[in-house]
Amino acid sequence: MRRAFVEALTQAAEQDPRVVFLTGDLGYGVFDDFVARFGPRYINAGVAEAQLVNAAAGLAREGFRPLAYSIASFMTGRPFEQIRFSIGYPSLPVILVGAGGGYCYSSSGVSHHAPDDFALMGLVPGMTVVAPGDPNEVRALLPQLLELPGPSYIRIGKFGEPTYDAESPVKLGHARLLRKGERIAVLTTGEMAPLALDALPALAKEGIAPIICQFHTIKPLDTAALKTLATRVHTLIIVEEAAPSGALFSGIRDWKQATGCDVRLIRLGPSEDFVLGNPHRETLRRTAGFDTRAIIETCRAEWPFSRPP
Amino acid sequence: MTLVAQGIHTPEIAMLERKARAIRASVVQMAFDGKEGHLSASLAYVDLALALYHTWLRVDPKNPGDPNRDRFILSKGHGCTGLYAVLADRGFIPRSALRDYNIPGKCLPNHPCQHAFPLLEMSAGSLGHGLGVATGMLVGLRLKGSPARAAVLMGDGECNEGSVWEAAMFAAAQRLDHLVAIVDYNGIQAVGKSDEIMGHTSLARKFEAFGWSAREIDGTNMKSIVDTLSSLPFEKGRPSAIVARTRMGVSFMEGDVLWHYRKPSAEELARALAELGERPIQLED
Repeated sequence: MRRAFVEALTQAAEQDPRVVFLTGDLGYGVFDDFVARFGPRYINAGVAEAQLVNAAAGLAREGFRPLAYSIASFMTGRPFEQIRFSIGYPSLPVILVGAGGGYCYSSSGVSHHAPDDFALMGLVPGMTVVAPGDPNEVRALLPQLLELPGPSYIRIGKFGEPTYDAESPVKLGHARLLRKGERIAVLTTGEMAPLALDALPALAKEGIAPIICQFHTIKPLDTAALKTLATRVHTLIIVEEAAPSGALFSGIRDWKQATGCDVRLIRLGPSEDFVLGNPHRETLRRTAGFDTRAIIETCRAEWPFSRPP
Repeated sequence: MTLVAQGIHTPEIAMLERKARAIRASVVQMAFDGKEGHLSASLAYVDLALALYHTWLRVDPKNPGDPNRDRFILSKGHGCTGLYAVLADRGFIPRSALRDYNIPGKCLPNHPCQHAFPLLEMSAGSLGHGLGVATGMLVGLRLKGSPARAAVLMGDGECNEGSVWEAAMFAAAQRLDHLVAIVDYNGIQAVGKSDEIMGHTSLARKFEAFGWSAREIDGTNMKSIVDTLSSLPFEKGRPSAIVARTRMGVSFMEGDVLWHYRKPSAEELARALAELGERPIQLED
């Protein structure tokens, strides 16, 4: 995804002289080509995230379209006050890029875990929050974020993630149908999408065909898609690598509460506890119950039920 | 306090000194009418703001949105009445608007809000943001080829914030010599004396160590302020810092932490106005 991000960034910078890239001293070697081509439009603010965000705010005030880049935990929690006050309050079009959100850096320890990035960014009024699931979604979403009049946050992964095809294009603010199905729907965000797709062959052997729908946009939540899904399935299985509060599941739970919709909700995702012991990401997903196997088992368990009368 | 500078006075300096007394009168009046204190933060930098708006900033009340205007940011937003009064005096807003200070829904809230008062370069109230935002603005202005400069006024208490020093490092690295940071060194912050709280070290030496060119000046001496501003930038390729030792300018308020929050009584208002000897400008129209 980072390669896709740099390519999309470079393309945007070619087309729009307002695009400026600021890094919090991260991305060694990744932006060399960008630096060579766009020189002064690359700014290393140093290991100083408060300044990274305030400088981006100043650039946005002068009509630029700055992107601020750091590791997700340092991009969101650390400069939260600057994001809220200097970018959110005046609603400036700054794109905050959180590399390695969720438990991307699970084995690096709690300092590098960012399960709270969606929640923190979602708290900022007017902030658009997106989590692409593959490099293609990164390429498609970035130009759309650059069109926004206000701030946005994008969580991106590492390098070499698999790509997938889908039934519908990547449209900011709209849930993306990845696979058609019936009775139950698996709703994913960010890098959970390929985990859900990986569950399909095993499920197909048992005649189980859930809808797979990728919510790359967490805020604003695509409630129109939820409404449609709720008329077609009895259960929504929401898979997220995020804190239980303030991400996709809690947004959908709030929507259910507000609308009185009777669709069943199941969440697969980590608990709110600090993850200690520096586990590998796959181990964490398995033990916390949000890997492909957990998706298969949950779909299998929910498939026989019908919608309550 | 006396604002009579030593040495030769030009008529302009004398005019600014008189204005400073009127602006201070306006500020005390606003605190009384608006029932909101922050007098120490608002009174002490009045001379600095007047000197900036009358001698240094290239700004025009008839064209306040000029893309090449110099940017002024009052980063310590709680001391906003001084700025409001100077803007009124300079013709950016009607003098009568000062009577609306701290009335809910009006354009001059007790912490400056750009949504209420769009002429501001940014909102303020949360300390430590102005310098960093100004550095971003200046990098942007440089990319656009604009000659605009920026002045950021901060409190000495505000310089407790780490983000100030992150911004200071960035400004030096980016060689922003069209940036001046002015510290209103009144020696007082919310609940104590700033030197005691942050360990008695020189702010000017801190800025120097961060790659700036810094000067300490008497922030109550109008001629000294004007002369200092006229010599900006102090050094080519480096941002400039002015650490201005200031006083509130009302004798019975000087040096007392109490006046960070305290609202003046009717009697204290009368006493301050009598001492200043000028009428608040909001009462003139």
